[in-house]
Amino acid sequence: MARYGLLIDATKCTGCSACSIACSQHNQLELEVNYNRLEFVEKGTYPNVKMEIVPLQCMHCDNPPCALVCPTQATYKREDGIVLVDANKCIGCKYCMTACPYDARQLNHSRVPEKCRWCPEILSKGEQPPCSSTCMNEVRLLGDLEDPNSELSKKLATTSTYQLIPEKGTKPRIYYVKK
Amino acid sequence: MLKMQRRTFLKASAATAVMSAVPLYFGFNDYKQVASEAPVKKIPTTCNGCASMCGLFAHIKNDRLWKIEGHPIHIKSRGRLCARGHGMAADLYGKGRVTGPMKRTGEETFEPISWDQAFKEIGEKLQGIINTHGGNSVMWLEHGVRGKFYADQFLDVIGSSNYVTHYSTCFSSKTNAWHHMAGGSLNGDHENSKYMIFEGRNFAGAIIPHGMNQITKAKENGAKIVVIDPRYSEIAKIADEWIPIRPGTDLAFRLGLAHVLITEKLYDKAFVDKYVEGFDEFWRVNKKYTPEWAAEISGIPVEKIREIARDLAKHAPQAFIEPGWHGLHCHYINSTQTAQMGVIVNALLGNFYKRGGLMPNANAPLGSLQIPDQFHPEKGPRIDGAGVEGEFLTVEPGRGIAHRVPDAIEAGKLKALFVYHFNPVRNAPDPEYQKKMKDAELVISINVDWNETSVYAADYILPEDYYLERTEAPTNVNGHISHDHPQVSIRQKVVNRLFDTKPLLDIMRGISNEMGYYLYDYTVEDQIAAAVEPLGITPERLKQAGTIEFPATVKPVFPENKGKPALGTYTGKIEFSIDLFRLDGKMGVPTWIPPMVMPNPDNKEEFRLIHGKCPWHSHHVTSNNPELMAITEKYDGTSMWINTKRANELGIINGDTVFVESDIAKKKVKVRVTEFIHPEAVWIPSAYGGFSKKLETAYNVGVNYNDFIPSMVEPYSGTTMSQEVVVTVRKESN
Repeated sequence: MARYGLLIDATKCTGCSACSIACSQHNQLELEVNYNRLEFVEKGTYPNVKMEIVPLQCMHCDNPPCALVCPTQATYKREDGIVLVDANKCIGCKYCMTACPYDARQLNHSRVPEKCRWCPEILSKGEQPPCSSTCMNEVRLLGDLEDPNSELSKKLATTSTYQLIPEKGTKPRIYYVKK
Repeated sequence: MLKMQRRTFLKASAATAVMSAVPLYFGFNDYKQVASEAPVKKIPTTCNGCASMCGLFAHIKNDRLWKIEGHPIHIKSRGRLCARGHGMAADLYGKGRVTGPMKRTGEETFEPISWDQAFKEIGEKLQGIINTHGGNSVMWLEHGVRGKFYADQFLDVIGSSNYVTHYSTCFSSKTNAWHHMAGGSLNGDHENSKYMIFEGRNFAGAIIPHGMNQITKAKENGAKIVVIDPRYSEIAKIADEWIPIRPGTDLAFRLGLAHVLITEKLYDKAFVDKYVEGFDEFWRVNKKYTPEWAAEISGIPVEKIREIARDLAKHAPQAFIEPGWHGLHCHYINSTQTAQMGVIVNALLGNFYKRGGLMPNANAPLGSLQIPDQFHPEKGPRIDGAGVEGEFLTVEPGRGIAHRVPDAIEAGKLKALFVYHFNPVRNAPDPEYQKKMKDAELVISINVDWNETSVYAADYILPEDYYLERTEAPTNVNGHISHDHPQVSIRQKVVNRLFDTKPLLDIMRGISNEMGYYLYDYTVEDQIAAAVEPLGITPERLKQAGTIEFPATVKPVFPENKGKPALGTYTGKIEFSIDLFRLDGKMGVPTWIPPMVMPNPDNKEEFRLIHGKCPWHSHHVTSNNPELMAITEKYDGTSMWINTKRANELGIINGDTVFVESDIAKKKVKVRVTEFIHPEAVWIPSAYGGFSKKLETAYNVGVNYNDFIPSMVEPYSGTTMSQEVVVTVRKESN
C-alpha cells in the first residue's frame, strides 16, 4: 500500500499561481474554492530585501484534527494517507474548518468545506497531479513515502526539510525544503 | 440531491446515460465513475495566453474543453504552462465573447447582422474608399505576424504599404538595434550559462515555462543570477542579487560596464578584433563615461558596477546580459541606445554563438503556399512614416508605429482601418487620443471579445473563432529561448465553434470576394500541406503530434562565409555603429542620452510611473477571466507599489487609496507600501484598467499605465516611451 507525501521547495517558487488554476481546472472547482494558496512574506529594508513564499494547502495529516472532530465521519483518512471528504455525509457544520491549523478548507456553494484531495487517480498511476506537473520551477513533488525508490523518497533522503506547525501534533505529510 | 456544478463538463441530457447531476465534490469513487463515463480526447494545439504560443494538449470531454496541460516536447512548455494559459483556455466559455458579426448603431451600441450583410457592406464601403482615396488610405493594424499572410495579399492587391504591428508599444527599440547591429536577435542560452543578468526583464512575470525551468536549473547547477530592476520582480525572488536601479538610467549603467571591461582589459579582444566593426568609434565617443559617472547617474554603487563587469568577464563567454524584451525597450527616450549597449556589452564578452552565452533559434525550412500572381498597383509611402525619409526614417517599416493612428486619420491619409487581434484603445498610450480611431470612414475590428477598441472605435466587429476553435498554418517554434533543434508546431481546432464566428481566412475571403478580388482561393489545409512539404512529414502526422522536433541545425559557431564573418549586417560583423542612424543625421554609436523627464527630488509627491507584467495576466487580454481575476483579488494584484520611506513622508499607509496624477490623467489607486521598490518610482501592473462595460469581470478594476502617458514617439525606433512620465501621488482627502 502506497503512502503519499509531498515535498515543496518554496525557494524556487516565484508566485505565478499556475498550480492553483491548473488544479481548479482539473477538479472543476467553483470560483470561490482554491485547493492551494500562497503566502508572501516580505523581509528586510530597502535595498536589502528578500521575498519568501509559502505554498499552503491541506497537509493530509497522519493525525488529522478535521477527521477527529467531524461528527458524521464525512472527513476520513484512507489507508494511503489521503484525507478525503464524503460530501454525502457532510452536514456543513464547519467544525473541520475551525479545527484545521493550516486554514486549508473553503466552503463551496453547497456548504461543503472542500480541500485538496491529492488526486489519487493520478498518483496511483505514478504521475504528478496538475499542480505539480504544470509548475515551471518544479517546486512540488508528490510521491510514495513507503517506496524507498520513489523520486520523493530519494529526494527526502538528501534534503533537509521542515514542516509547518509540527507542535500541533497533526503529523502533516507535506515537507518543505529548508533554505 | 446536490445541485448542478457551475462548470460541469458532463452534458446532463437524457441522451447521456450518466448521472443527471455531477456531485459537487468528487470523492475518489465518484471521480472514477465520472471519468469513466466519458472518454477524454487529448488534442494537441498551441496556447494563446500570450504571444509565446506554447504547445499544449487540450483535454476534451463530451465535446467540451475540460482542461489543458503543457505539451511535453514543445521547447517553450515541455509539459508546463503558466496560469494565464490555463485561464485563457477556460475563457472559451467566458462571458465577454462577441457571438456574431456586429454593426455599430450608436455610442457603444451594436446590432447583430449576418455575415453576408457584413461582407457586402464592408466590401462596398472599402471599394468606395479605395476608388476615391486610393489603396494607400487603408491600414492593417494587428498584434503582429498572426494575420500577416492574409493581410499582405490584401494590401498588395489594393496597393497599400500600411501593415502595422503592435511592436512600437512593446519592443521595437530592441529589434531595431539588434537587427542593424547583429542582423537579428539572439537569445540567452540559459541552460548552460554561469552568469546571467536580467535587467528590466522579468522572466518569471512574462513567462516562458520551460525557459524559466532552464534558468532555475542553471542556478541549481551553480549559475549566478543578478536582477537589475527598480522593482523586486518575480525573478528577483530566485536571484542571487537584486540591484535596484534609478529608472531610466540603464544606459548609464551599461556604459559604465563597458568602460570597466575596456579599461581593465577584461573584454574578449580576439573576438572583438575579428567580429566587431566600429569598436574604436564607440570607445572614442564613450571614453568619458566612467563607472564613477555611471554610479552617480544610476544610483548603483561604483564598486558594484565594477564587480558586475568583472564577474561577467570572469564567466565569459558563459555569461550574458539577457537581451530582454518589453522592459527597457519601449520605455525611455534612450531605449534604442540601451538596446545598442545590450549588443555591445555582450559582444565585449565574446559570447555571440557560444554555449552559455547568446545563441540563435533553430528554424526548420517551412514551406509557404504559392499565391498566384495578381496585378499589384503601385504603393504610396507608409502613412505612419516608418522608414520614410523626412519622417521616421530610422523606424523599422516592417513594424511601423502603432500608437499614432489617429494622426493619420486627422491628416486625411487614413480612411479605412482593420484592427486584428489587437486592442490599441486600451493597450496603447492615452485612451482618449486612441478613441479618435473611430473618426476613420471605416473601422473593422476582428477580435474575439468585446474589447475597448471594438466598443469605442469599430463600425463593424467581425468575431474570429476562438483559438481553440480554429486551425492555423504551422509555425517554427522560436523566440526568447535558444535551442539547437528546430521544432514545428501547429494550432488546431479542439472543439466545435460555440458561436457564429469565422476563421480569419474566411473573413478575408468574404470581404475580398465582395470587392471582386477573389484572393483567397485556398484553405488552411492547403497552407498546412505547403508548409510541411519540405519537412518530409504529412499534415496528419503534425496534427497528431502537435509539435515535431527535427535534428539539430544550430552549432555554437559564429556564422562565417569563406572565413569571413557573415552576420546579416553590411560588413558581416557585429556593428557598434548603425549606418542608417548616421544617414538620418543621428549618432550611429550609442552614447549617453538622459531620460526625457525626471521627478523633482525636492518634491515629495513626485515619482516616475513604471509598470510591468504580473505572472498571471498578459497585459489586458486575460483580465476578463474570472479565475485569473480571483488570483488578482487574492493577492491584491491591482495595487500600486510605493517605497515605504517615501510613503511615510506623505503619510500614506498600506492599503490607502491615493490620487495619481500625470499631465493627462488623474486616477484613484490603492497602494501597497513596500520595501521592494526604488524610492523614486511607483509601479503598477500592466494588466488592468478595463473600460469596456461588456467585459464585466475586467470593467473598472484597477488602472493602466497607458491612462497616464501621452502618445509619444521615441525618435530612433518609434516606441511609446511608456515610462517617460512623472506623476504626483497625493493621499485621498475627504
